[in-house]
Amino acid sequence: MLEIQGLNVFYGDIQAVWDVSLHVDEGSIVALVGANGAGKSTLLRAISGITSAKEGEILFSGKSLKKLPPQDIVKMGISHVPEGRRLFSNLTVYENLKLGAYIPRSRRSVTQSIERAYDLFPVLKNRMNQKAGALSGGEQQMLAIARAMMSRPMILMLDEPSLGLSPMLVKTMFELIMNLNRQKVTILLVEQNIHQALKIADQAYVLENGKIAMTGKGKELLSDPEVQKAYIGTRWSKS
Amino acid sequence: MLEIPNLDIFIQLLINGILFGTMYGIAAIGLSLIFGTMRIMFLAQGSMIILFAYVSYWFFELLGLDPYISLFLIVLIGLGFGAGIYHGLFKGAAAQEDKNISLLIAVGLMFLVENLMTVFWTADPRTISTGYTSLVFRPMGIGIPFNRLMGFIIALFATTGVLLFLKKTYIGIAVRAAAEDMEAVTLLGINPHRVNSVVFAIGTGLAGIAGVELATIYPFDPFFGFIFVLKAMIALAIGGIGNVFGALLGGIILGLLESLSSFFIGGGWSDAVSYGVFLLILMFRPEGLMVRSVKKA
Amino acid sequence: MKKDKQVILTALLILAFAVVPFIVDSEKSYLVYSLFLFFCYIIISQAWNLVAGYTGQISLGQHAFFGLGAYTTALIWLNNITKTGYYFDPVTILLSGLVPATIAAIVGIPLLSRLRGDYFALGTLGMGEIIKVIFVKGGSITGASDGLHLPSSVYSSIRPYYWTGLFLAVFATLLIYLIVRSRTGLALKAIREDETSAAAHGIHVLKYKVLAFSIGAFLAGLCGSLYGIYLFHINPDSVLKLDWTLYPILMCVIGGTGTITGPLLGSFFISTVFSVADIYFVQMHPVMAGILIILVMKFMPKGLIGLTQRKEL
Repeated sequence: MLEIQGLNVFYGDIQAVWDVSLHVDEGSIVALVGANGAGKSTLLRAISGITSAKEGEILFSGKSLKKLPPQDIVKMGISHVPEGRRLFSNLTVYENLKLGAYIPRSRRSVTQSIERAYDLFPVLKNRMNQKAGALSGGEQQMLAIARAMMSRPMILMLDEPSLGLSPMLVKTMFELIMNLNRQKVTILLVEQNIHQALKIADQAYVLENGKIAMTGKGKELLSDPEVQKAYIGTRWSKS
Repeated sequence: MLEIPNLDIFIQLLINGILFGTMYGIAAIGLSLIFGTMRIMFLAQGSMIILFAYVSYWFFELLGLDPYISLFLIVLIGLGFGAGIYHGLFKGAAAQEDKNISLLIAVGLMFLVENLMTVFWTADPRTISTGYTSLVFRPMGIGIPFNRLMGFIIALFATTGVLLFLKKTYIGIAVRAAAEDMEAVTLLGINPHRVNSVVFAIGTGLAGIAGVELATIYPFDPFFGFIFVLKAMIALAIGGIGNVFGALLGGIILGLLESLSSFFIGGGWSDAVSYGVFLLILMFRPEGLMVRSVKKA
Repeated sequence: MKKDKQVILTALLILAFAVVPFIVDSEKSYLVYSLFLFFCYIIISQAWNLVAGYTGQISLGQHAFFGLGAYTTALIWLNNITKTGYYFDPVTILLSGLVPATIAAIVGIPLLSRLRGDYFALGTLGMGEIIKVIFVKGGSITGASDGLHLPSSVYSSIRPYYWTGLFLAVFATLLIYLIVRSRTGLALKAIREDETSAAAHGIHVLKYKVLAFSIGAFLAGLCGSLYGIYLFHINPDSVLKLDWTLYPILMCVIGGTGTITGPLLGSFFISTVFSVADIYFVQMHPVMAGILIILVMKFMPKGLIGLTQRKEL
């Protein structure tokens, strides 16, 4: 469904992603893992069109996304929850959700979408008239995901959804991601919490210095001695 | 040196200050919205106001159109003109990290418009003089000039309209969101250029309202716009950027400040007082006085 | 090798400019007057260039320092303060640079320590207006809005203006050149690129910013002094108008800010355009200035110099 071929991405004079090819099958969970600064977020930003300096090809259902601005990419059915959530903290929870359904296709069903978001995250319903900035970290992450789901995307790209959450909430978050996936949403997940990410991923890519170092099924990589040594053994000794 | 005015004069000063200040307030709302979403200090706002004052002057002199009727037309022209300015001049620059480019384009536009107006209408001061120009209401002995009162009422309507627009419409909510984080806005499928051009349209539409008000109550010349935009910025500094009602209130406070200081310490010095207040606020409260939430990315 | 060649070429160019009044009839020729303006533009653009181009502080208050320079000259002359002759007197001209420089240092400390980016630009705009109000309201000392009249009977030829202008333009350009090549210049550029990291590297940010602001005011003041004795009538509308800030900005951005040759190219280009406009479309040159600023910022924000080189640090 999403196909990336030989992608190079630049930040000014610096190249952040080198010749990356990957594909995301419909209905799957794909994880991009790797250390800080490996180019994971840059890759997502390139797909969603925020970063325009790129070479190579990005295809979504056969159509090229390479030259499209972010707003058109959203309309095609790709939703991106950026790193750090990026909520509008002076807008209410309700307004944040409503904006999520801005594109014409989803605007028609905004009422149902908001109901669905409240079903998924009951806590948001109780706080619908509060400003997003007043929410707790976990609630903010839920709102960010709920907002991104408002456009009824086919692919949801999540950048570090577990960042800054308590271990309890991290668990809830990953359950939620799997839950969304069961509702036919394809997931492209960027995580530093490698252990958790690999556990739920159908397919995973390990990024190192902007290049793909390894790829395989999530469970396979999880038990791969090299991955264990490089990422899990040292930092995530037992999670 | 300091005269103690009697109560009537004092009340008169307050009323004049408030009524004149709403005009600054309207101009400041436009500046505030544009700065809020694009971080552009639109220095040409004052020249736009004067331009619309001339347009309303022309409508009146050439077509005999009453300024309060041509107001509707001028607001429409302003909306279109604003969107045009954005697409023609600021579209590329608004996305640039270097905000000096937009600042300098605004400076160039101000310069261009000012001097074009001088060529068209000469530098002589103009004003619209209708049958009701000197009409003054006197409730309880306090003189309220009709045109100033109208200006005040129109300003209140305009402010309410902008507030409702920002609160109730999809694109209005997007404008408020864009003031916080434009990138996140585009990630929701919203075209940033649409948001920006709407903001410019509103800003210039408001300039149209301020221009008509100005033309009915005050003699203006092409170079008055620069002073006007400075005043609007002072109002903004007082009221706080990104706060529509605050900008109006800032304008009113500035109007009061000017009206009182020109009475107590003399005409020309009141400008120095305003600029002094401006500098002090910039230095000690760069977000403006009214902003309560202390938040910085 | 290449360096020597450049020095010789520059010297020849300056010499060529210096002999122009001998070749053409300086009192009748429009060329001499145009070149005099060209030199004035160089001085004020290099001043703005140092503050904005090299230090990154967009000042919209240069006209205040230009005006202060002109007024200083007039006040010294009319009140017979230095008793040194006044007309093209180096002491008077020097003082007319030093007074704005001192005032710039005094107002620069609060402005530059508290305001950044466009807030600084707006702050300097407010400062310029306050200074203007002070002169308009200065009563008999400043002559209020009518201003001050200098004894114009001393005028005999434009030649001294021309040569003084040329000298000051060379001086300003050389001064900026030497500053930006020195350690001070490195510090200024570091501040422009990233203030926080400059401070982290032990650069006293405020000190350097105030220094640049003050030198900019010094040069603007010198130019104001020269222009003041050319006008003989100094009033707020002539020497304190915003044009004296906008023109240098225009010339710098057209030529290329933050380069030595950019302001020279820009000044040459603009003074040519203005001269042509003055002859063929009277009154239109401010209009053209506005259009030019917009076009340049839209299509080549790095200026003319940006056409030839990709990046300048």
